[in-house]
Amino acid sequence: MPNKIQRYLFFTVGMMALAAVLYACGPANSSPTTNSNSAAPAATNTSAPAADAATATPDSSQDTVKQVVEQSGAAQATQMQGVSVSSDEDVVSPRTHLGGEYHDVATADAVSFHPYLTTDTTSGSYQGMVWAGGLLRLDENTLEYKPNMAESYEISDDGLTFTFHLRHDMLWSDGEPITAQDFKWTYDQVKNPDNGFPYLSQLDFITAYEAPDDYTLQITIDQVYAPALGQMSGLITPLPKHIWEKLDWQDPEKNPEINSPTVVSGPYKLIEWKRDQYATFEANDKYWYHGAPNISKYTIEIVPDQDVAYQKMKSGESDTGDITPEKLDEARKLPNINVYEWWPAAARWSYIGLNMREGFATSDINVRHGLSYAIDKNLLTDQVMLGQAKRLCSIYPETSWVYNPDVPCFDYDVQKATDAFAQAGYTLKDGQMVDKDGKQLELKLIYGPNTSKVRELMAVTVQDYLSKIGVKVDIQALEWSSFLDALHAAQPDWDMYIGGWSATIEPHIMYTIWSEENIPDLNSVAYINKDVEKLFEEGGATYDTAVRKEKYGEVQKIIAEDQPYIFLFYQKAWSGQNKRIQGIEPTALGIGWNSEDWYIEATQ
Amino acid sequence: MTRYIIRRGLQSLLLMWVATIIGFTVYQLAPGGPLQFLDSDPKKTQADVERLQRLYGLDRSVPVQYMAWAFGEDWLPATPVWRSGRCLSDPDACVHGIIRLDFGRSFHYQGQSVIGLIVERMPATFLLAFSSLFLSVVIGIPLGIISALYRGRWPDNAIRIVTVLLNTVPEWWIGLLLLIILGGYFGLVPLGGMQTIGDGSFWDRLHHLVLPATVSAIGGWIGFSRILRFEMLDVLSQDYVRTAHAKGLAPKTVIIRHVLRNALMPFVTGLGGIFLLVLSGSVLFEIVFAWPGMGRLTIDAINSRDYPLMMALFVISSFLGILGLLMVDILYSVVDPRVSYETKVG
Repeated sequence: MPNKIQRYLFFTVGMMALAAVLYACGPANSSPTTNSNSAAPAATNTSAPAADAATATPDSSQDTVKQVVEQSGAAQATQMQGVSVSSDEDVVSPRTHLGGEYHDVATADAVSFHPYLTTDTTSGSYQGMVWAGGLLRLDENTLEYKPNMAESYEISDDGLTFTFHLRHDMLWSDGEPITAQDFKWTYDQVKNPDNGFPYLSQLDFITAYEAPDDYTLQITIDQVYAPALGQMSGLITPLPKHIWEKLDWQDPEKNPEINSPTVVSGPYKLIEWKRDQYATFEANDKYWYHGAPNISKYTIEIVPDQDVAYQKMKSGESDTGDITPEKLDEARKLPNINVYEWWPAAARWSYIGLNMREGFATSDINVRHGLSYAIDKNLLTDQVMLGQAKRLCSIYPETSWVYNPDVPCFDYDVQKATDAFAQAGYTLKDGQMVDKDGKQLELKLIYGPNTSKVRELMAVTVQDYLSKIGVKVDIQALEWSSFLDALHAAQPDWDMYIGGWSATIEPHIMYTIWSEENIPDLNSVAYINKDVEKLFEEGGATYDTAVRKEKYGEVQKIIAEDQPYIFLFYQKAWSGQNKRIQGIEPTALGIGWNSEDWYIEATQ
Repeated sequence: MTRYIIRRGLQSLLLMWVATIIGFTVYQLAPGGPLQFLDSDPKKTQADVERLQRLYGLDRSVPVQYMAWAFGEDWLPATPVWRSGRCLSDPDACVHGIIRLDFGRSFHYQGQSVIGLIVERMPATFLLAFSSLFLSVVIGIPLGIISALYRGRWPDNAIRIVTVLLNTVPEWWIGLLLLIILGGYFGLVPLGGMQTIGDGSFWDRLHHLVLPATVSAIGGWIGFSRILRFEMLDVLSQDYVRTAHAKGLAPKTVIIRHVLRNALMPFVTGLGGIFLLVLSGSVLFEIVFAWPGMGRLTIDAINSRDYPLMMALFVISSFLGILGLLMVDILYSVVDPRVSYETKVG
């Protein structure tokens, strides 16, 4: 549940667009610490839906969805081939509210500061403190890429060569300049298969990564690839070559910089890290973007769980803390806390996956339609999420720039449900949905982790709705690892499962969920539709956003019609911050995008 | 005696070896693996997973992985069937096996030496276990004495009711409750952790220690007081106590010199061993109180299926446990000459 937002700085923001995430991760997973709705640089599983339990009532916060859609949709309409983009943004003038200390909490500690070996959320936040970010970053309002560490870039006419011109005024914290050589060296290390970068295949589209001089980077790719710009700027943040090249890339015993970086590029420098206790940071006055951040000292304390984190925030011991949905109402009334709420562009959404493999009742499209009609998704959304979520009809939430409102939604209609079942050869007899042989339709629904109250509530609600049309549902709750095993089994034995994804700002990433080659891992329901694959390919092979919007729009229509998932809802995000922290302005990008400008009211 | 100790030592070693095989197999059987973090992550591909499996040698069969873990992979044939990718490309990166005291590298903590991670957390665990044991003794022994001396009267009944009540509730739950009430609502104790950030003075540490130590001592002092009550009652009914009374000694003298001394014997001798047992059993309290010790590390290791770290913790805690039992047995036989293992075992 997105409630507490770990600070993520530009580094993270840049990567957020790329990180699609199955967010069903149980508390059992090593990484889910905070319920940050931002995906950290390499974050995979982020949240524990155990905390999703909801008793909060609808809030009165501004509904920003429309605004987001308008802003981002407009902005994405840029032609990219043969263009030159530059920025005249002032990045030098120092900030004016320096001082103070921010106290953060996390429920799991980081693994290390190595951005190319870790994938967990807390490591992502730690790394966001000390590493500067990528070549480009996302605009907080328009969600389009704009120059960051590169002050300008050009794309060749064929759309295959990207030339980035780095800023000349960027320094490492030891005073050495940050150059294209640092980028190039870092890229070369990451690219070495022995170096264990988990997402190496993400860089496969890059054919050459060259630094013709100290302030120019020339990146060549194999074919026109829409997410290229985001990927090349988001996946590589430079490490200080002059320090790291003498050290081992991955062995913390031989490279102390991995656990305690001394030369950094980000807004903060590490002072001390006591594993499983706390980490303290101080402002880096050599930071290239407007110099030192406003808040001079930053502490992250490790706490046992979300409840303690909340108590710490309430008592003022920390400036932020996790707010589980059932505490949201209480938190809004706390005298010392401001609760910020927003609809993120990278929203989490929930669905029920239907097994499309042969031999399963759900492989019949009419059965899938019948099931979908039989569930009142509006009511379910309200019951389970209590106003903290909105209805979803296809694979992109309203906050996505490619969102297509014109898709079949399968609104609750028992008559249509029984009609659909009739077409599939089922009849409703004595309150039982029976097939031609008179056998009642029985479906197995699995969910995980078994500790998740929200998932449990969803499962029971679905069971209840389907019993009304005579379909028997057997619910099986599984521990997280067992759930994943069951989900990704080559021969699964379930008919339905409850799942969730984190949307991505870049729509193309979602292709992986629907492509045949990713059965049974990402495409657990075994959805195979060559038209969809073709449309995704076409959408990914052009920089023309109008064309892309059309292609992904068509994809949404086809998938909604096919109903491999029963689409349920996407979620709002929120964060509690102590009132003494000023300058917080959450946008669709999240809350942390301007955290370097947050400041502390001196008088309080 | 020496023969007995050697025999028991060898038995313990054998026990541990069998335990490692069972432990290793069980961990491997658990669903998921060290690369589980990549599950359902659209940013990775199957090729990524296979590359990493090869790099870390997770594609080898379980017996081979066990051999590599137990005896090292540097003496295994230099083929992908036997060695991890890392060991193949860099002989320095080979695992030397637990038999040469190389516990390997952690997956979750990205190549950090497992032993280093454990040693880093040992002081915290020792501190908590020691404080807990100290409180168990300081609270449990007086309660046991009072209980025995006032047998059947209200102090005894009160103590027994309280101990039974506390015994029925899981201690970690009491801990969580106290943490939320005392720490959350009244702000009397810190909400977990071992020290205030940037502080770390003696008083600050003590302040952080009070609640975890008290709560984790509950089981200890309940046990101690009940055993002591039993032992005392046993001794009180002995002939030599009656003799002592008969020869006109003051009741106080009889209690302190004759009764208590004999009743306490099993505690004094067993304390060292009990300490080791407490040490290997403080996982839950560390989790509840965010105590940065081995307990938290254990949970992290299990959740991330970090095989080397799990195995190292498993070996160390079984070692401590077995050593604890061994010490109790041996010391008991040293102190109480009536206990002769030679005849019993031999």
